[in-house]
Amino acid sequence: MSLIHIQNLNKHFKVLNRREGLGGAFRDLFSGDYRTVKAVDGISYDIDIGEIVGYIGPNGAGKSTTIKMMTGILKPTSGTILVNGQPPYANRIHQAQIMGVVFGQRTQLWWDLPVIESFKILKEIYKVDQDTFDRHMGMFNELVELKALYTQQVRTLSLGQRMLCDITASFLHNPQVVFLDEPTIGLDISIKTKIRSVIKELNQTRKTTIILTTHDLGDVEALCQRIIIIDKGKILFDGDIKKVTALFGAYRTLKIQIDHFSETTLDDLQAKVTQKFGEKNGITIGQTEELWTDITIDQACTPLSDVLSFVMAKFQVFDVRIVEISMESVVQKVYDGALG
Amino acid sequence: MSQLRSYLALLRGSYMVGMIYRYGFLFTILGNIVYLSVSYFLWHSIYHNVAVIHGLTFDQTFLYVALGSAVFILLKTYADWLISYEIREGMIAVYLTKPVDYQLYALFTSLGSGLMNLTAITIPTILLLTLVFKVHIAVGPGLIVFPLSLFLAFMISFNFDYLVGLMAFYNESIWGLTITKEVLITTLSGALIPLQFFPGAIQKILLALPFQAIYYTPLMMVTQPDQNWPVFLQMLAVQIFWLVITFILTRLVYEQAVKVLRVSGG
Repeated sequence: MSLIHIQNLNKHFKVLNRREGLGGAFRDLFSGDYRTVKAVDGISYDIDIGEIVGYIGPNGAGKSTTIKMMTGILKPTSGTILVNGQPPYANRIHQAQIMGVVFGQRTQLWWDLPVIESFKILKEIYKVDQDTFDRHMGMFNELVELKALYTQQVRTLSLGQRMLCDITASFLHNPQVVFLDEPTIGLDISIKTKIRSVIKELNQTRKTTIILTTHDLGDVEALCQRIIIIDKGKILFDGDIKKVTALFGAYRTLKIQIDHFSETTLDDLQAKVTQKFGEKNGITIGQTEELWTDITIDQACTPLSDVLSFVMAKFQVFDVRIVEISMESVVQKVYDGALG
Repeated sequence: MSQLRSYLALLRGSYMVGMIYRYGFLFTILGNIVYLSVSYFLWHSIYHNVAVIHGLTFDQTFLYVALGSAVFILLKTYADWLISYEIREGMIAVYLTKPVDYQLYALFTSLGSGLMNLTAITIPTILLLTLVFKVHIAVGPGLIVFPLSLFLAFMISFNFDYLVGLMAFYNESIWGLTITKEVLITTLSGALIPLQFFPGAIQKILLALPFQAIYYTPLMMVTQPDQNWPVFLQMLAVQIFWLVITFILTRLVYEQAVKVLRVSGG
């Protein structure tokens, strides 16, 4: 059964055309020069109960605007949007009861108060009874070891701790759907992994539908079965994540700096790699920035670790970076018709 | 009733925020003592050779001004600052995803800080006035209706602040508008000087405006207590009248404002 139904949804904003400079800013005071921005431009999809959907796209693609319409903050310009059979905007307060929302760049916790106070306030706001509350808190303690943080002021938490608290808080009232808007933004890899496992656990034990917007393809790979790629307000791709990861997910770029680098080094490297891994090895070698040699590896053909240890053995390498394929290049490749 | 519990939790949280910054809390009390002493000597020298000015004795004027400043701080709801801050920072999105009415959320947050001001400023001021400055506060019907009148005044003040705050939905910065509102309310409501000090014609106009219901009315109940019940009840009725009018206004403006809401960032 579909929990969220979106049909030909549009959201247009009127934006003042601002001019440059101080003089321009002054003239803008009296300007009536508006243009219409189509933040969301005729999108349609259905999301089922219990799904985790990755909602991805570059900055300004319309992701957050869609989330804000699904949560009832913004009213659509036109089109249908139903969450649990009801338009979120029309009955916002009632609908809010079945939703949980985390905006990665903001917190729903009370900045100046100890963490536990925020949970208590949310308990009253969502009318969670004491038994359920205790059970949830017990579960969160096991999941993320919250207890040590209870008495700390929210503003003294690290970004990662705050995010864990924010996410657990959004599940407190056992919502049917949780919107996570960039929950891993600005976090290091260990806390990202923790957050991903918490989200996964909550989705599996409670069958909560989760809609995740992110810039990090790692989040999507770790969590979602389905992704929706949006750009310039339109849907570029909606389907199984395997299709996308099959194309891009296996690629990693190994960037290395080789000591005594000379003009012949690249050819030498190419020859040695071909000799070791054969002709069809899924490895391309090139240079995109000075001093760094890029070795792009399709891990479906050759494991990255094999290439790395081989290169380390044959050359004097003094610096190494591993780069994942970026969101922007995925969107670009989808644009170019890679998913046909 | 369970709805009320949600909002009381918000009130409690906002009250606690005030407590957490305890140094700010202490300095507020201290600053108020300094202000009281300064205005005591100022008005003392004004009344040096005269017993009555515009029908008010020194005791009445000093009580009005001193209590006025305490009430002034109490009735500052800061709802306009809260709303414009939340809109500029995009925080409003967080509250609009909660099952609470935005106006009531703002009201109970303001009530929490108002209660903080009551304990930190208004009550200490009354104690100081009676115990240290030996100002006589008459016990009578005026004193009984005073808290109720103060509460109504807070609600009217909130409605004004909320209305100005809603303007942030249209134009993200409402700094100028807020300053204008502050000046208007401070002068026209009798917060700065008693309304009796204005010329007769202007006094009549001011008494017909809603602003006097914020400061003038509750302060009159304490400074001019020798009046009978019907007068006080009429004063309360006028306050309730303005409360209803301003409330209807806030609802109408909100319905319009929320349509143009743009949530910035993220």
